[in-house]
Amino acid sequence: MANKRQLLAIVALFAALALVPLFVTDSYIRHLFIIAFVYAVIASNWNLSLGHCGVFNFGHLTFFGIGVYTAAIASKTFGINPWLAMLLGGGTAALSALLLAAPVARLKGIYVVLVTFAFSQLVLQLVLSQSQITGGAEGMVRLPFLQLGSYSFLKDFKFGYYYVGLALLALSCLFLAFVSNSSFGKSLKAVRDAEDYAAARGISVARQRILALTLSAIFTGIAGGFYATYLRVASPEVFGFGTLSLALSMVLIGGVNTVFGPVLAALVLTFATEAMAGLQGFEDARFIVIAVAMILVLRLAPEGLVDLLGKLRLPVRRTQT
Amino acid sequence: MDALLATLVSGLVLGSLYALMSSGLSLVWTTLGVFNFSHGALMMVGAFVAWTISEVLGLGPVVGILSGTLAAGLIGVIIERLLVRPFYNNRNMLLITAMTTLAAMVILERGAQMIWGARLKQLPRLVPGEVQILGTTISAHEALLIVLAPLILVALWRFTVMTNRGRSLRAVGQNQDSAALLGIDVPVAFALAFGISAALAGLTGALLGSIRFITPTMGSEPLTKAMIVVIFGGLGNLGATAGAAYLIGFIEAFLIFGLGLYWTPFVLFLLMILVLLFRPNGVFGGK
Repeated sequence: MANKRQLLAIVALFAALALVPLFVTDSYIRHLFIIAFVYAVIASNWNLSLGHCGVFNFGHLTFFGIGVYTAAIASKTFGINPWLAMLLGGGTAALSALLLAAPVARLKGIYVVLVTFAFSQLVLQLVLSQSQITGGAEGMVRLPFLQLGSYSFLKDFKFGYYYVGLALLALSCLFLAFVSNSSFGKSLKAVRDAEDYAAARGISVARQRILALTLSAIFTGIAGGFYATYLRVASPEVFGFGTLSLALSMVLIGGVNTVFGPVLAALVLTFATEAMAGLQGFEDARFIVIAVAMILVLRLAPEGLVDLLGKLRLPVRRTQT
Repeated sequence: MDALLATLVSGLVLGSLYALMSSGLSLVWTTLGVFNFSHGALMMVGAFVAWTISEVLGLGPVVGILSGTLAAGLIGVIIERLLVRPFYNNRNMLLITAMTTLAAMVILERGAQMIWGARLKQLPRLVPGEVQILGTTISAHEALLIVLAPLILVALWRFTVMTNRGRSLRAVGQNQDSAALLGIDVPVAFALAFGISAALAGLTGALLGSIRFITPTMGSEPLTKAMIVVIFGGLGNLGATAGAAYLIGFIEAFLIFGLGLYWTPFVLFLLMILVLLFRPNGVFGGK
């Protein structure tokens, strides 16, 4: 999958992203990049369970939310260093994924959608009901921010946060590329495309599903922790349909069978939605535009737009050789 | 004793509401094999249209409720045509239609926000006054809901069992190919099932519009409850779905009475996951 040309493009993309803060000093543009990185981590990791393994997981944003609240409670309530709190988010998210995976591995089809959806509602209700711990519907505010020595990452127009976000995305991409190219990653695709055959070849379908879900939660949870230390709020909104459908559209538009498709889609869509938010009367319409785009992609290019671009380029290459 | 009776009555109101919501969800599931995530949004559309016809145009609540029902049914047919039908022969139809109907939900909710704004709205009650049931006083409108729900369910049941059109829906649900061989127009059956289901959602929304506030997101809470109901009853059987709706209504009322408002949804979802684990075909489900 990862031929030389693609690899080069990816390295170039990350190099370009690393240079952005040197040219862009506007704090708002940098903020958009940081949010885009967070969404890119969510979408590309979701793709591990949804795209690569074919688990109809509708509760992926819950892992993110659990990361957000873990970091928030650890750093604010218990005074744990925000860096550590951020990583803790990945741990609790993976643990909750393991818990969710146990029933999901046994179920099929629509029941997977229903259980994972119910799980997300369960966590949301827990957050709302335990208001003395989580702040309830109002959430938690003024969370501790990242510091290195005495240097606050809030300084210099989010310079520090930009690179932490980018590093997080890079690490997550390396992790996903490693997983999907390993024999484990290939067995996931076998489970998705030919379950009976995979089982006959000695692959434990349930075990692969559990592993895929748990692995997909790690970086999603850390991204949640990062989000909490960056925005310094934890609100139940992260569990809502809004974030769910936005992240889902990134996975679908980017392409369910790639590692980098959702990353690209997240970058593009974050800026596209923000640009639309600036237009008069588009505050709500932008979500409609994205929903329509999602439907069109499902209809016309089920493998995602990135794949479609690849197909369009093929004839050109043939004429060159 | 009074508290117990009051809880029973409030369970009955909730159960009626859930029965109306979940029967539509179940009808679409049995006929098309699609789980319609936009069902709650269709309910919201019914409420808003009813409000516009009744309050803005001043045509009264009865015309309003009828137009709300009709509008939701029409949108349901459109959703089936544009977002469900193109994917019938797809291997991943189940997942894809879950996503397209989720997208439909976003479009309807944001669209309603743009058209009607965020200001809270409410419909007047269809029947004024109050009624006493089992020593508990409820509004006559809620009492109407209690009476109307079983009537509509029975009508729906009679339709699917005793008319040819209704039987064609069940035939298509059981085996598309052999239904087509028998001369049943499968696409028409699908559109019909989706339309009836959406109209039911619209009717529920219009009726609910005088009990709760009408907002663009008013459908999401009833949708998740209807989801719990269909899982309890097992996807695919109208009688079991109706039974589960009342059961969940009572359970919820008693949980609110015993545990309070905050813990109730949590316990309900926990129950739902347990049912899915141990009885994936529903509490009343066979096979």
